[in-house]
Amino acid sequence: MSLEGKLALITGSGRGIGRAIALKLASQGADIIVDFFRHRESAEQTARDIEALGVKAEVIRANVGDPAKVDELFDMIGNKFGHLDILINNAASGVGRPLVDIDVKAWEWTMDINVRASLLCAQRAAKLMVDRGGKIVGISSLGSRFVLPNYTVVGVSKAALEALTRYLAIELAPQGICVNAIAASAVETEALKFYFKEGLVKDTRQATPAGRMVMPEDVANVVAFLCSEEAFMIRGQIIVIDGGTSIGVLALAGKGEQKE
Amino acid sequence: MTIEEQVKDILARITRVDKSIITRESTFKEIKADSLDVVQALVAVEETFGIEIPDEEAQKFENFGDFVSYVENKVGQGQKV
Repeated sequence: MSLEGKLALITGSGRGIGRAIALKLASQGADIIVDFFRHRESAEQTARDIEALGVKAEVIRANVGDPAKVDELFDMIGNKFGHLDILINNAASGVGRPLVDIDVKAWEWTMDINVRASLLCAQRAAKLMVDRGGKIVGISSLGSRFVLPNYTVVGVSKAALEALTRYLAIELAPQGICVNAIAASAVETEALKFYFKEGLVKDTRQATPAGRMVMPEDVANVVAFLCSEEAFMIRGQIIVIDGGTSIGVLALAGKGEQKE
Repeated sequence: MTIEEQVKDILARITRVDKSIITRESTFKEIKADSLDVVQALVAVEETFGIEIPDEEAQKFENFGDFVSYVENKVGQGQKV
């Protein structure tokens, strides 16, 4: 798989999953636009690590939750590069609260960044992919279809992102743009430590038939595949990366064992 | 209007507290600012003053005074980003 000569924008790529995706695509030869919102130092470190792989990196600050900033981001890409080959809608935020405590502000903040930004970025990216095709990958989560504690607004936003992925896949197909998403279980990142209690890592590891946490690199590997020509016939799919967690529940509880 | 008053106005608007209760010693908890309120206040202050406040710096703010001092310092530097 080679992405030589391709230009990829990964939103929210200073840290965590976005950074791992940026480095993976860079390792395959793509030039990378590193977008960040709150962590400049991390983003600049990611850019240095990308350049060390022998490709170009451009650092841009844009809160994709703000439509005006999305416009600025894509205006810059259009003016400077004139095209885009890969968009990874990775930037995400959320407010971890019990359902009854979700207010309008928390709802809008989460939906604006996780869903609306994915639509707006895809719309602008599609224009930069005219006559050359492209790849768009969204980053979802198992919380889109399973109920996790204090995860309501994020889970709902991810379900919307998955639906958006299907619509984008069909409507952008005639332009040669492949659109898919991945849905991971808890991925071991700084954000995970920030949002969830310490026990989550241990609980998740125990509930994972594959025997360990999903790492950012596990996600990056699948995203890179979805960005390759080998994945050309996969459209509008949500690829689950969870080490078997979501299908192994009964087995883990010991209830799936057969009688001797 | 001083920088302190402008930052106070922004924080009071976002947290919906009466700005008279905000002093330089007030912690974000005392102002009833949750993590989302703080991020939104940071963004609003950044846009108002044309500066950037990375999370790495914001995490060091223990109270409103730290926040204001950082903004005053950044603006005083000729709005360097």
